[in-house]
Amino acid sequence: MHISSWKKPLRENKPLFNRGLSFWGGALSGREPMREKLEQFRSYLFLIPGLFFLMLFTYLPILWSSWLSFNRWNLLSPKPKFAGWENFVELWHHDVFWLVMKNKFFFVTISIFPTMFLALVFAILIDERLKGRVYYIYSLFYPTLIPMAAAAMLWVYIYSPNLGILNILLAELGITKLGWLGSSETSLWALIIMTFWKNLGFFMLIYLAGLQNVDRELYEAAYIDGAGWWRRHIKITFPLVGPTSLFVLVTAIILTFRVFDQIHLMTEGGPGNSSNVVVYYIFENGFKFFDWGRATSLTTILVCILLTLTLIIFGIFGKRITYTAD
Amino acid sequence: MRKKTIFIILLALIFAFASNASAKTKLRFFYPVGVAGPLVKVINGMVDEFEKENPDIDVQPVYAGNYNQTMQKVQTAVLGGNPPDIAVVEISELFSLLQMDALIPLDQYIEQEGGQKFLDDYYKGFLGNAYGRDGKIYGFPFQRSTPILYWNKDMFRAAGDKLKAAGLDPDRPPKNWDELVAYAKVLTIREGNQTKQYGLIIPGGWNDWIFEAFSRQNRSQLIKEDGLTVTFNSPQNLEALNLWVKLMQDLKVCPVLRPWNITPDDFIGGVTAMMYYSTGGMAKIRKTAQFNWSAAFQPAGKQYGTPVGGGDFHIFKGIPKKNQDAAWKLAKFMTTPEMAAHWSIESGYVAVNKKSYDLKKMKEFLAKFPQMTVARDQLNYAYPKMMAVNYQLIRNAMTTNLDAALEGKKPPEKALADAHKLMEEAIKGK
Repeated sequence: MHISSWKKPLRENKPLFNRGLSFWGGALSGREPMREKLEQFRSYLFLIPGLFFLMLFTYLPILWSSWLSFNRWNLLSPKPKFAGWENFVELWHHDVFWLVMKNKFFFVTISIFPTMFLALVFAILIDERLKGRVYYIYSLFYPTLIPMAAAAMLWVYIYSPNLGILNILLAELGITKLGWLGSSETSLWALIIMTFWKNLGFFMLIYLAGLQNVDRELYEAAYIDGAGWWRRHIKITFPLVGPTSLFVLVTAIILTFRVFDQIHLMTEGGPGNSSNVVVYYIFENGFKFFDWGRATSLTTILVCILLTLTLIIFGIFGKRITYTAD
Repeated sequence: MRKKTIFIILLALIFAFASNASAKTKLRFFYPVGVAGPLVKVINGMVDEFEKENPDIDVQPVYAGNYNQTMQKVQTAVLGGNPPDIAVVEISELFSLLQMDALIPLDQYIEQEGGQKFLDDYYKGFLGNAYGRDGKIYGFPFQRSTPILYWNKDMFRAAGDKLKAAGLDPDRPPKNWDELVAYAKVLTIREGNQTKQYGLIIPGGWNDWIFEAFSRQNRSQLIKEDGLTVTFNSPQNLEALNLWVKLMQDLKVCPVLRPWNITPDDFIGGVTAMMYYSTGGMAKIRKTAQFNWSAAFQPAGKQYGTPVGGGDFHIFKGIPKKNQDAAWKLAKFMTTPEMAAHWSIESGYVAVNKKSYDLKKMKEFLAKFPQMTVARDQLNYAYPKMMAVNYQLIRNAMTTNLDAALEGKKPPEKALADAHKLMEEAIKGK
């Protein structure tokens, strides 16, 4: 088994996706035999049904909504009317737009790294064959299995200011009771904590799977060489779960950007937009206020941001992380 | 031969079932639950009763969440060209639905039932939100309420000496704003920096509705009946908001923005001595509160006053005529004296049909729980709730700014002025 290191550039490895099926590398060069070309044609044929539905439900709606974002279309002007950049200019001057953007980035940055770090730590601890590890796996993973709607209602009661268990515990510790969902200081934090609880187990499980790919012999060798627990994990585990981390990072960003259900059920963005984030704000504008022009222009902005973010992440990590190849 | 016979019988059976199925009118019925309590079961039970009486109609009740969520579901369905047949939405939404050209007028149905004479059976206060600007009737009252003041008699009694020392009677609730403040002060119990017991809760979430009550009590309103003239920024409203800020920020006898859904739990759990809440939450309190409690009119400002609240039936355009007819049957059925009484007893909402209160069942029930008459009697001082197109946008402007003022983040003057401006924009368009 060959394990590539953190710093090794991708080009030294065998290309991952080029296993004789490449269209450009193969068919265009004209050197491949006829049979192979036919094979390629067939494989593209298999993509058509998938592509058809992607077109219908993803690409066309994206194009359609970007077009709508340049139109005025709301309850008072029920037919879309071209308005140029008006929607975007209005958003630029709208306080709530900047607030929901700020909230979103706060939400993402605050929740992702602790989630990833703790998920990895728990995964390592469970991987070390603790006693009763099955119990730990279950108890960490079960929040992921609870439907979000049920979990949200549960947390509404946990956060109840006078009767909820959280404030009662805080009071036992001598800390002032907090308003949680009813206060604009804490409502966003309340959602972050709840989302953390909900997602932790999922990422822990992915990390646990990633750890199974790490060669045990490496740990043994390091142990013999006298490396301590921390050193072993910092030098071996952390670099080798790189690909898993990339996957977790991207998934976590997508998951937290999409956060919606808990906001809808727990705060509806309140009090005073303090827990409102972009996706919920899009929903509010579209389905609550019926301002489709504004909703679609927000969507366009969000798509651009997510696209840039994904490109940046793959730009940074794609070069530095290598996948184990046989 | 045998094969053929079987084939024909099968074919006949298929047709029989098919025609049977198509003869049944299928109704999609969206409804909200706007208060705490297990009311979904009650509505589904009433729908079952209706189906028993009308075997040719098949009603599919769809619980669509709270009032906001139900309106969103209805709007989306209408825009998608697949409207429900009948839906209950919050009464202030009427003008938005009319703007979308989503509803049919109910006048012809009401004519068939006997016109004005038929309408006279229903409380007039609940019909104020049913009419469009064209004078036609588009809504039919169903789960209707007014906010009332719930009070914990045991807590009042426990603080009897202190109340008497402040010149207040521990056996009755406050009758006006000054008394409200005085009672709330005495009834708040603090230990260190923790509040053990609040004097009063004015919940968040629907604080715009409760605020409308305070506005009415101070002889003002939020938006005039024409649905166009905004009066949110009136000096009387400022006075009302200042009172709230005083209760929450200065005296700290009322928690800030307690979420709407869990406020009844706070009352039941003994967190507060008084609570403003819809009468629709009363069944839950009646069934779970382990202490003596009662309900009263909201204390008066310059006068008693309150908006009505709740949801009306609406029947939609763009569905077959026979579905509309069946939908009317359902609306009528749900508001017969018997059904309205049943709904009122199970939920706490006011029975919209006056004749409900003549029923023996209802009389016996009210003898046991006289609190249930408070919201109905308060109708004498009730006004229609504010209505305007783009209500969701307007409501959002009101709640965000009220929230900001109550949390002490915006001076009350500015909060009212900001909301006022946004409301005018929402009504007149950009």
